[in-house]
Amino acid sequence: MNASVIIFYIIAAFILGAGILAVTTRKIFRSAIWLLFSLIGIASLYFWMQVEFVAAVQIVVYVGGIVVLIIFSIFLTQKSGDEMPKPLKNRSIFSALAVLFGFAFTFNLIKQYGFKQIESTPFEVKVSDIGNQMLSTTEHGFVLPFEVVSILLLAAMIGCIVIAMKVKHNEQ
Amino acid sequence: MFSLEGITNTVHEWLNNHFSPTLALLTEFVLVGVAAIALFALLGLGLVWMERKVAAVMQIRLGPNRVGPKGIFQTTADTLKLIMKEGLTPDGADKFLFNLAPYIVMIVAMLILAPIAFAKNFQIWDINIGVLYLSAVSSLSVIGVLMAGWASNNKYSLLGAMRSGAQIVSYELSAGLSVISIVVMTGSLSINDIILSQQNGWWIFKGHIPAFISFVIFIIAVTAETNRAPFDLAEAESELTAGFHTEYSGMKFALFFLAEYINIFIVCAIGATLFFGGWMPLHIGHWEGFNHVMDYIPSSIWFFGKTIGLIFLIMWFRWTFPRLRIDQLLNLEWKYLLPISMFNLILMTIVAIMGWHF
Amino acid sequence: MFIKDYIKDVYGAVKSLLTGMRMTGYYFTHHKEIITEQYPDNRATLHLAERFRGEVVMSHDENNEHACTGCSACEIACPNGTIKIINKFDITPEGKKKKAIDTFVYHLELCTMCNLCVQACPTDAIKMAQNFEHSVYDRSKLTKKLNKDGSKLREGIE
Repeated sequence: MNASVIIFYIIAAFILGAGILAVTTRKIFRSAIWLLFSLIGIASLYFWMQVEFVAAVQIVVYVGGIVVLIIFSIFLTQKSGDEMPKPLKNRSIFSALAVLFGFAFTFNLIKQYGFKQIESTPFEVKVSDIGNQMLSTTEHGFVLPFEVVSILLLAAMIGCIVIAMKVKHNEQ
Repeated sequence: MFSLEGITNTVHEWLNNHFSPTLALLTEFVLVGVAAIALFALLGLGLVWMERKVAAVMQIRLGPNRVGPKGIFQTTADTLKLIMKEGLTPDGADKFLFNLAPYIVMIVAMLILAPIAFAKNFQIWDINIGVLYLSAVSSLSVIGVLMAGWASNNKYSLLGAMRSGAQIVSYELSAGLSVISIVVMTGSLSINDIILSQQNGWWIFKGHIPAFISFVIFIIAVTAETNRAPFDLAEAESELTAGFHTEYSGMKFALFFLAEYINIFIVCAIGATLFFGGWMPLHIGHWEGFNHVMDYIPSSIWFFGKTIGLIFLIMWFRWTFPRLRIDQLLNLEWKYLLPISMFNLILMTIVAIMGWHF
Repeated sequence: MFIKDYIKDVYGAVKSLLTGMRMTGYYFTHHKEIITEQYPDNRATLHLAERFRGEVVMSHDENNEHACTGCSACEIACPNGTIKIINKFDITPEGKKKKAIDTFVYHLELCTMCNLCVQACPTDAIKMAQNFEHSVYDRSKLTKKLNKDGSKLREGIE
């Protein structure tokens, strides 16, 4: 067991621990913070795998974007500082069962896949390659999904502006 | 003359010759950590003193001048005072998050330090997506502020945190766009490549007017991102006492205070790297003689000189301009900076494609 | 036109910001402008502002004469009862009684240096001095008598 493996287990334990705390804590803001830590843990896992681009995007999108939005909406909610009531016993039993079932299902799938040990060459992707692939029109190019997502975001943005826009009343 | 160049390599070789690779790596981690903390402490002491002096002279005062020559030990005395003070946690606060928040802010500041090149061959981590990493991690600093504002269980803190959040989220856009306009020129995200591409002149000179515009936008946006006047709505003392750190005292307050100055240093270091060539000495095209003379000044001095120059510029802003209102702040970003920086990015792309830069 | 206004806006903003920065930059480079007085150190050469008001004094000339007729205008003008004027009646050489001042009582501990008494004085007998080191160990020392012993009204002032 070398240092790299130890670091992997530390990161994995951090992700899982933060994830469990996120769903078990009874304060909503703390829950968001644990979710944040869990997502940061995933980003650090990407860094550990040396796919820095994905890690940075993970931080930008999830940590800097989505969690900050979640925190903002918590700020704007009433009584968000109170402790939430304890969950019902039935509900916790069923959710534990569901989690167990889901875990068994995915574990089974992963075990059956049988990962091949490949000779590890340094996995390095240049950012320019990612950019080229994103806009290429060849067989494995991503120009169509890229443009579709762009249109979707544009529509969302225009929608936001329309909702937020002040309507000028022309009385008389 | 003393320079930081090559010290890292010497240390690295020496460690690898004497210890196993794992142990050597761990020792390097510890060394980097200690060096970063030492740098932070020095920067905190130095920059606070500098700020107070600059503020004083700009307001026709003298500033600290009692403790040590020119008051240089004033901040040390202040730090001692802050260490001795009681770190109070309010009764209704979320104690865990309240105590965690200052450390989050500091850790984020430390993480951003990683890809910055302090001198030739003196960089903690030459990551290939350097600039993207910087903008990604700097978006984390808002979390610490939001956490502090919420956990204090205080209306001022909460309002300050929300203002700060809105401000950082919106100004990140134009800061990012102005950074991208330099990336367009260099064609690389790595800090090292960006510095090396300025071998025959800094981008602010090579990139004509678009580079200058993006530099101005960058400086405005990072001033807003570090919550400094004229954008210090998050801690506007006339409205919110101290904003998100109203309830903090003692060493925890000191950490927030320190983080503010560390962040200024970092953003100015980024600005110096992108627009003024980082540690690259002042080179002008093919004037070989001139370039050689400039090379005699060590690269670390170039880097710190440029960074401190930019820090002075930001301090100059702080002690000149009045604070903006929240609506003016958002107007400035969304109606002026963002459209201008987008237009500027297009201009920059045209310059890069046509090869009009030197 | 929209674009024209927009550019004008940006230009005006940048220009006004630069004007402000030029001012502070001027102060930053011109250290002679610094107005801070390092008070206990430079007590001898202390420079106070011209209109600084420290306490009320009555000016006496070399013959120990003052200009106060005892009209009590200052006492009436004072908003917080700082001044109390005690009059006496002198006998003039012609044998007439003439009102003159006996004691000009000034309670420094009550005074707010508002300058109203000086403005009210018809004969400019009192003025504001610049002395500001007023601390004493006993409060009774703050009650002062402004006219000097044996002083009298200057000739020709009614």
